[in-house]
Amino acid sequence: MRQHEKHYWRSPDEASGGSGAHCGDARDVDAWIEAPPGHVNRRDFLKAAGFALSAAATAGGCGKAPEQHVLPYLNHPEGTTPGRAAFYASVCGACEAGCGALVKCRDGRPIKIEGLPEHPLSRGGLCAAGQAALLGLYDAQRLRGARIEGRDTPWSGVDQALRARFEEVRRAGGAVRVLSRTVTSPTLQASIDRFLETFADGAHVVYDPLSVAAILDAHGATHGARVLPRYRFDRAEVIVSVEADFLGTWISPVAFTAAYSAGRRLDDNGPKMSYHVQFESRMSLTGTKADERRRIAPDEASSVLRALAGRITGEAGQSPFSEDSLKAELRTSLEALAKRLLDARGRSLVVCGSQDAEAQRLCNLINEALGNYGKTLDIRRPSMQKQGNDAALAGLLRELEEGRVAALVIIGLNPVYEIPGGACSAELLRRAGLVVYCGEREDETAAAAQFLCPDHHFLESWLDAEPVSGGVALRQPALRPLFQTRSVLESLHAWMGAPADAYDTLRAYWRDHVYPRATTADSFDTFWNRTLHDGFARLRGGLAQASLRDVPVPDPLPVPDPDPAAFTLTAYPKVGLLDGRHAYNPWLQELPDPVTKVTWDNYACLSVAAAKRLGVRDGDVVRIDAGDAALELPVCVQPGQHDRVVAVALGYGQTATARFAGLGPDWFGKRASVGEDGLVGKDVGPLLRIEEGLVRYERRGVTVTPTGTRVELACTQTHHTITVPPRLAPAGGLRRPILHETTLGAFAKDPKAGHPHAHHIFEGDLYPDDHPKRGHHWGMAVDLTACTGCGACVVACQAENNVPVVGRDEVRRKREMHWLRIDRYYSGEGDDVDVAHQPMMCQHCDNASCENVCPVLATVHTEEGLNAQVYNRCVGTRYCANNCAYKVRRFNWFTYRHDDPVENLVLNPDVTVRSRGVMEKCSFCVQRLQEAKIEAKRLGVKVTDAMTQPACQQSCPAGAIAFGDMNDPESAVSKRIASGRAFRVLDEINQRPSVTYLTLVRNRASDEAENHGRDAHATEGSGHHG
Amino acid sequence: MSKETATYVLAIGLVLSLLALTGAARTFNLAGNHQGYEPPQPIAFSHRLHAGELGMDCLYCHAGAQKSRHGGVPAASVCMNCHEFVTATLGAVQAEEAAAKEAGRAVEPVVSPEIAKLYEALGLNEKRERDPAKPTRPIAWTRIHNLPDFVYFDHRAHVGAGVSCQQCHGNVETMERVRQVETLAMGWCVNCHRQANAVGVQGRAVNASLHCTTCHY
Repeated sequence: MRQHEKHYWRSPDEASGGSGAHCGDARDVDAWIEAPPGHVNRRDFLKAAGFALSAAATAGGCGKAPEQHVLPYLNHPEGTTPGRAAFYASVCGACEAGCGALVKCRDGRPIKIEGLPEHPLSRGGLCAAGQAALLGLYDAQRLRGARIEGRDTPWSGVDQALRARFEEVRRAGGAVRVLSRTVTSPTLQASIDRFLETFADGAHVVYDPLSVAAILDAHGATHGARVLPRYRFDRAEVIVSVEADFLGTWISPVAFTAAYSAGRRLDDNGPKMSYHVQFESRMSLTGTKADERRRIAPDEASSVLRALAGRITGEAGQSPFSEDSLKAELRTSLEALAKRLLDARGRSLVVCGSQDAEAQRLCNLINEALGNYGKTLDIRRPSMQKQGNDAALAGLLRELEEGRVAALVIIGLNPVYEIPGGACSAELLRRAGLVVYCGEREDETAAAAQFLCPDHHFLESWLDAEPVSGGVALRQPALRPLFQTRSVLESLHAWMGAPADAYDTLRAYWRDHVYPRATTADSFDTFWNRTLHDGFARLRGGLAQASLRDVPVPDPLPVPDPDPAAFTLTAYPKVGLLDGRHAYNPWLQELPDPVTKVTWDNYACLSVAAAKRLGVRDGDVVRIDAGDAALELPVCVQPGQHDRVVAVALGYGQTATARFAGLGPDWFGKRASVGEDGLVGKDVGPLLRIEEGLVRYERRGVTVTPTGTRVELACTQTHHTITVPPRLAPAGGLRRPILHETTLGAFAKDPKAGHPHAHHIFEGDLYPDDHPKRGHHWGMAVDLTACTGCGACVVACQAENNVPVVGRDEVRRKREMHWLRIDRYYSGEGDDVDVAHQPMMCQHCDNASCENVCPVLATVHTEEGLNAQVYNRCVGTRYCANNCAYKVRRFNWFTYRHDDPVENLVLNPDVTVRSRGVMEKCSFCVQRLQEAKIEAKRLGVKVTDAMTQPACQQSCPAGAIAFGDMNDPESAVSKRIASGRAFRVLDEINQRPSVTYLTLVRNRASDEAENHGRDAHATEGSGHHG
Repeated sequence: MSKETATYVLAIGLVLSLLALTGAARTFNLAGNHQGYEPPQPIAFSHRLHAGELGMDCLYCHAGAQKSRHGGVPAASVCMNCHEFVTATLGAVQAEEAAAKEAGRAVEPVVSPEIAKLYEALGLNEKRERDPAKPTRPIAWTRIHNLPDFVYFDHRAHVGAGVSCQQCHGNVETMERVRQVETLAMGWCVNCHRQANAVGVQGRAVNASLHCTTCHY
């Protein structure tokens, strides 16, 4: 074995020489085959049962097809053609980031939410949560109409009763509070303000469940304006992030990923790559992409920033910039980092994701000292995506406690669940004289509210958004409301006694307040129509420049010596599920976490060393005790985490997840997708606290003790592995290049850096004349440098291709159906690891190993290079899946449930819904290719890259995926293939995949690579260590 | 599980399936083959009259065939383009006029019972204006040409290539009630594609793909 090769592993267990199947049992092939003597084994039984069943099915299957009806429109709506998709520009409503969405509608209903390519913030990407929000529209368990005290009531009755109640409050001069998340819609904000003005004592309290109130507060203190800056990662050449997961969950991850990616392009003229350093206590998605990553304890965030501030202002070591509490190695790395930051004044960016007021002030100080304000941070045109004020929330809770709130209107927030520490219990809410809840589901808060006034889903309503000051967008309905819900805009106006249609309210507000700020001289109608068509518009104006005030930096508070036995609990949002508002969404529940690859649960992440110290491994349940509250969760060992940190995902343990109890195919081996308490995961909220007017996501001094019980996590990280098991590997170990990696230094010298030195490729062709690709030859190229592993493509693929949800138990059995998975590899030792993400889908090999083992020709090669899967031919032998080198084929073990007429509306009519016993896999979105080709032929134009985007490429915020015709030298994919970074996975077995990957480049100096040869390619090990 | 149980499973399965097969053998036809299917429709619409006698272009009503995957059944509003004025056959109108002349009375409006169903679906009154009091109800035509769910046929590709409607649908302009003429089975599709590649369509060379993914995805 060559010593210089980097060793990659997928789990800590595998790194130490185990099978790697640390999540769940290691199911070897032998274990499946062996059966106790004297019994009919599984195969014989299946033979018998199969014969009987198939004979009966043949006989029974010849009946007459049921009569079907065609119901055309009565009055044909103008501009529509049944069978053709219509696209509407809109604003995604899955969070407050306000990314541009392009809603694809077929026959009057949305079937997919895509990214809006021209959108200035999101630049065409859309995250997993945004894509999956479509399922929320067709959620059969949404509230279907208004209720008073649990009784269904028509809206007229609700309005009448509420107007009377509000009138009482008005006369009595009682306090009225509106509690909501950040409202990015200027029209809705104006309506809320108008509504509150009708009362003597009205106030709007904004709370973000993923609060960044510390950043706003800090700017209030240091710059005199309580704003959230707009971060410009595209303009930053040096990025330092302290505990901010800006590529995964922080503020506006899609826009940040797009911008970050724009600053890291290697294909254009010469490499241009920002340098990104991440200080963090747990392994975040952003941490996996960092060029340098430093593990710190959560309470070290402010020490790190303090030391950095000292070095940048030139007052290092002097009060208040003492570095006493810092470890020596951290000091050395900070020295070098400060130098790089100073070299990149005005072209650098320091962000901090901690809810520590002191850390945020230090962060502002550093950015100010570096001259970054106005360049990489914009507070003149700030971000409006988070406006929450935790201090105001604490005030509201006090008022509720004292019974001083006469009426509380809650909009789009589930405070009983989402306010941590149980601070807003149902009992507390009931102390308000009147609770009106404008939510979408029957959740914890709905149970405490007298009036339920359900809001529309965002795809059903008119609204607007101004996520960044000066950038405004219109949200338009993509279908008529499915249920008897009502826009909250209309509700507020109805309660003010001036009922108005949401559209009219919106238009009136725009005419009076938005249009005057327009940058063009068009008429209002033109401005409105163009904004509606484009999805966004730019506006004039902005805040007066806020400038740094002379605020003294306080001396550091003495940090008590950590109790070696105690942990710090860190609650973090999980990619996709975010703050938990999407907990009802099965697509997101089944989306593997980008780093741990666990689905359907939250868990206690412990570092390798901490797990060893506690004597626990994956799935061992531990008790996390904070004194006043405790939580029992299974362990997930997470390399790269700080040893004194136990990290738990937010957003789990909601009543909305009780619906998943029966999820999954019905069979005798079925186990529920929920835990013993009937919910998915556990709520970490009760362990968190609001301290000094800030919601804290850390809790110091918790104890972690093993309970002795075990839970099997539904973890996909060791499924579908392309590793050669040690016992099957030839002597000396077969080493396969899966992933190629290099450093920027090495890449600058040699674009082919990182590729293995010797390839023994057999260059023959299995079918030399059989498969000429004269027309199109479809191919894909995935840039591993750009890919962040965020999972947007996984959900996009699921939505596009009708991929079923299988449930926790089936995932445990390795039967997840995702066509596209993202393999995550670790390299390095112990907890000091590098992480690489590699999207893996059908490689559409020219010499495909699946094709020549299919006995019924159900998987065949097309003249355009596609590896076709013909569902109606497939008899389910699964030979192809066994023979696939990339393990990308998925078998339908069951006919997955599609029995709800509302939920079925989400299905893409252009893709077959597969039934039991059929193999399926990535088709390169062949339905889109067919559509593009036919439409191009009809219009007499050439098929271009823009017409043939598969769903994964369309949604990718980082632009990591290129797809197109490899026979066209001008296509993006051809250019990528021609670049020096191009490589193909398992190239030496000569399957000739149509998917090319581009080497992962990290911005590090190349000397290490030259001296030690660490640039060598990634290899799948055979139990050896590199 | 013992060998004995397995034998029982086999035996019971064999008996049941033989019974089922015997029953089904009499009416056996390949699944999905509905050649000759000619169901009654909610309105006795005559293609013979419209497409044949009156010579209306197929694409006037089935406009989707040119630009969409579906040919489409026309909306009731398309029917009303003519039937706002045409309420009965010329013969019926002339008969009424003759009868009125004979009886010396004013001519009564004549509405054919089939066309009346169209007005009813649209909720129209006697003057063929929308009556808000009347309910509207889409017309539930019975589907004749129906491919299995795993087949995707695209009208626009075929119409664009110059394939005539009759090639697949038969001489609809001669049918009083539409009947499925062809088998619409895969072999029939593939044969036509092969032929088209060999001799072209209407004298033009075409590229009729023979690959699975042309229709199956």
